[in-house]
Amino acid sequence: MLPLVDLESDFLFSDLDSLGVTTILMTLSAEYGIELEAKDATPKNLRNLDSIAAMVEEKLKVKSEE
Amino acid sequence: MKSEESVLEMHCIEDYLNLWAEENPAKPAVICDGETLTYEQLWQQVKERSREYQQAEGSAVLVRNTQSIDFLIQYFATHLAGKAAVPVEEDCTPDRLGSIQHQINACTIPVDVADILYTTGTTGQQKGIMISHKAIIADAENLISAMQFTKDLLFVISGPLNHIGSLSKIWPTIMVGATLCITSGMKDMNRFLQALSLPYPKVATFLVPTSIRMLLQFARKEFSGIADKIDFIETGAAPMSQSDMEALCQVLPHTRLYNTYASTETGIICTHNYNSDYCVAGCLGRPMPHSSVFITPEGNVACKGDTLMVGYVGDEELTRKVLQNGTLFTSDCGRIDQQGRLHLTGRTGDIINIGGYKVNPIEVEDAALSFPAVADCICAPSPHPVLGTVLRLYVVPKNDTVINKKELAAHLTQKLEHYKVPQLFSIVDHIERTYNGKLNRKFYTTNT
Repeated sequence: MLPLVDLESDFLFSDLDSLGVTTILMTLSAEYGIELEAKDATPKNLRNLDSIAAMVEEKLKVKSEE
Repeated sequence: MKSEESVLEMHCIEDYLNLWAEENPAKPAVICDGETLTYEQLWQQVKERSREYQQAEGSAVLVRNTQSIDFLIQYFATHLAGKAAVPVEEDCTPDRLGSIQHQINACTIPVDVADILYTTGTTGQQKGIMISHKAIIADAENLISAMQFTKDLLFVISGPLNHIGSLSKIWPTIMVGATLCITSGMKDMNRFLQALSLPYPKVATFLVPTSIRMLLQFARKEFSGIADKIDFIETGAAPMSQSDMEALCQVLPHTRLYNTYASTETGIICTHNYNSDYCVAGCLGRPMPHSSVFITPEGNVACKGDTLMVGYVGDEELTRKVLQNGTLFTSDCGRIDQQGRLHLTGRTGDIINIGGYKVNPIEVEDAALSFPAVADCICAPSPHPVLGTVLRLYVVPKNDTVINKKELAAHLTQKLEHYKVPQLFSIVDHIERTYNGKLNRKFYTTNT
């Protein structure tokens, strides 16, 4: 389940509502086994798919180093 | 200082705004996006704006909720100009705006009406609920008495100000001369948490159960870090699960946590601090000073007192159906325990509660059926691990057509408020109906 917004957009965060942000955080947590928090849900991290991918990669890197 | 007698003569919230502007002019009245207005500044701006409204035609002013200080100025100024405020969603569609304006222009609004709040009715038609100044004062006094609003409090509002849940928190905060902080929803949880961390000795807020679950899921640590300064949190508008109630008590062990029974029609009726020796889901506590409650022989909750609505705009028949001789009969099912506490057990009718918003599925279905590729559809509640309940639209495509879900969602967004647009879409080959051809809502509710 993903929010029905244009995921290719460069203005993803502004297109999303609170339910959309939560849905993305939940989906990424479940899909990649990473812990996401409120502080990760920033306009910068959720600007577009590339910034989301970068956030996930960073979380995976931290997880692998633990 | 004004005498105690003059305080007792207050008839509307604006009287209190005026009082504090005179008695405590430098006190911050409202904070939003880094801007602060003192009581004196707020009152000054309200007075200036009200002069504009006095010149305007009509007895009501539509105020688009921008979740900002300007909304607050417009809201108070409308009252001060002797008119009723009609707060509408920021993303209110032109069709809906036109229809509300048309309805208001066609009706005579009673003199004491302060606010007209629009919600969806059981028939899918919008209903304008008229709330009097007297009810606003009674609601404010109910909340102050039950939750102990004090003037050193910072009350953080994150929900939409055109909804009774958040709008009603303006009233007690201003009545006691405390400070409001307006934030824009829970999309950016960090900003909400920053608001709670502002340098005030104690803070309080109103959160719908979905927002509480989001915070518990994604911000438990941050929430816990500021636990000591959170004086109280009120929740309402939708049922809260036992596990979330217990989890919140654990994160905020010293905070008063209230579950409140209220609606636009009834006003603020009962509340219960569940961070106590009685933490039970569905318990909404005892009636507040201006209210009383009883259960009808059919098992529905009925309310009495000064907080009740005046009626529905332009619909005397519907008003008479629910409001009879000073008693408002709700569609909520409940019981009252031996200690006099109200417990909700469900709701009659088809209305779906999404994060505190009441959605009539008929309205969603009507909008979906206007999409060219949709042959049939039904809107039903669907469980969600964090959000509790979301809307799912089951759609039957017309012959030989393929439905693009994003295009359908975009079509619905044009026609409906955002919370009425389903999160989930399922393409099916038929819709279950009852023996007499009606949509079989029970099938979709029980099978999800």
